[in-house]
Amino acid sequence: MDTFVTITVVARTSTGADEAIDKAFHEIERLEKAATFYSPDSEISRINLNAGTSPVKVSPDILDLLTKARQVSEVTDGAFDLTIGPVISLYDFRNEINPGNSEVREALSLVGYRNMSINREQSTVFLRKSGMLIDAGGIMKGYAAGRAAEVLKKHGIRSGIVAVAGDIRTFGLKPDGKPWRVGIRHPRGKGQDDIIGVIQLSDMSISTSGDYERFFVLNGRRIHHLISPKTGYPAEGCQSVSIVSPDGAFADAYSTAIFILGPEKGLKAIEKAGLEGIIIDRNGIVHATPGIRGYLELTESL
Amino acid sequence: MASCTQLPESGVILNLRNLFDITTAADRFLFLILFMLSISGIFFVRELLPESRSVLIDVNGKTAYVFPLQENRTIAVEGPQGRTIVEIKGNRVRIIDSPCPHKLCVKQGWIQKGSLVCLPNSVVITIQGPESDDRGIDAVTR
Repeated sequence: MDTFVTITVVARTSTGADEAIDKAFHEIERLEKAATFYSPDSEISRINLNAGTSPVKVSPDILDLLTKARQVSEVTDGAFDLTIGPVISLYDFRNEINPGNSEVREALSLVGYRNMSINREQSTVFLRKSGMLIDAGGIMKGYAAGRAAEVLKKHGIRSGIVAVAGDIRTFGLKPDGKPWRVGIRHPRGKGQDDIIGVIQLSDMSISTSGDYERFFVLNGRRIHHLISPKTGYPAEGCQSVSIVSPDGAFADAYSTAIFILGPEKGLKAIEKAGLEGIIIDRNGIVHATPGIRGYLELTESL
Repeated sequence: MASCTQLPESGVILNLRNLFDITTAADRFLFLILFMLSISGIFFVRELLPESRSVLIDVNGKTAYVFPLQENRTIAVEGPQGRTIVEIKGNRVRIIDSPCPHKLCVKQGWIQKGSLVCLPNSVVITIQGPESDDRGIDAVTR
């Protein structure tokens, strides 16, 4: 796993805590193994390899993950779409390769969450068209952070914070009785610990999607990884979107969806989904939903 | 030679009056500037040098004491179960005794950063200062 995971817990003794943390790390590793796009024998890869051919039996975790992903797709009218795989694959952020229009158009014909059929009774998933690809990257880390927190709770931990890269899950309160303090990355900051503000959270997940994660600049335009499933090109309305939800998978998936929708439609969609969030638009203006304003301290004006 | 011995005599008797006589207006102006500069130094140093680290002692979630980390002292902190004895020495902090069944806080020993907690007696001791994240952040979402 190439993501940085940190787990912090509050406990009376370090022995019990160490064991719980160990189990939580294993849970993240297990989920990552099942959902990765990069290993040919992951469950997701097996679904992809059998696209257009046959349904694939999956574990309850992957079934749960894909069901949640589909829900977000439905609520956001496809702004979040796991089946974006064929388009994403055309972009190479490391070697700064931007695909041509015809390539993008062709790949877009394979994108569509409605062609991903989930059979809950038989625990199977089937991609109807050959060449379709699921990329669970936009929901996986948030989901894993949430699940790791559940494992910690099951092992008697009442308070902690799990960070799977930038996807954070908090539960309980800190020893001083206060909520956890999560910094929100400055989208145009110097380093990844450069923040625009702090939000206080307890029993909530927060995820952020930003155009600074994977990108290159071509002819003055920022080509980043948050690709619209409608156009096949990077969405341009936002610099970053952070979403707060009691569910880690939803926080992660909605942060991507809202980014794609842009600030205006995005704010409405956050409200419609009953979530809270912070949108930093393309001009660097911070928009926060009313429900979190009291918990958000902006340390830097953009 | 006699005149030579007289010179220091008049120089030694420095009362305010002849200080005023032997200084020029420019001298007095210079003294004033130097005096103001030395006073303002107190504030500049406070602003420019990093603040020293402090020991924050919370009882029942409320801050009961704040002490500088570099001053040695032993304090009895009154909690709901009784007295937690805290020692600050050599830029470190420990709990010597506490009215809790397992003495886990005592077993933690000396700390130089982070916190000591005696949950049964609701005492939380935190070392604050440049060494910890002064923004008080637990994670960053990115």
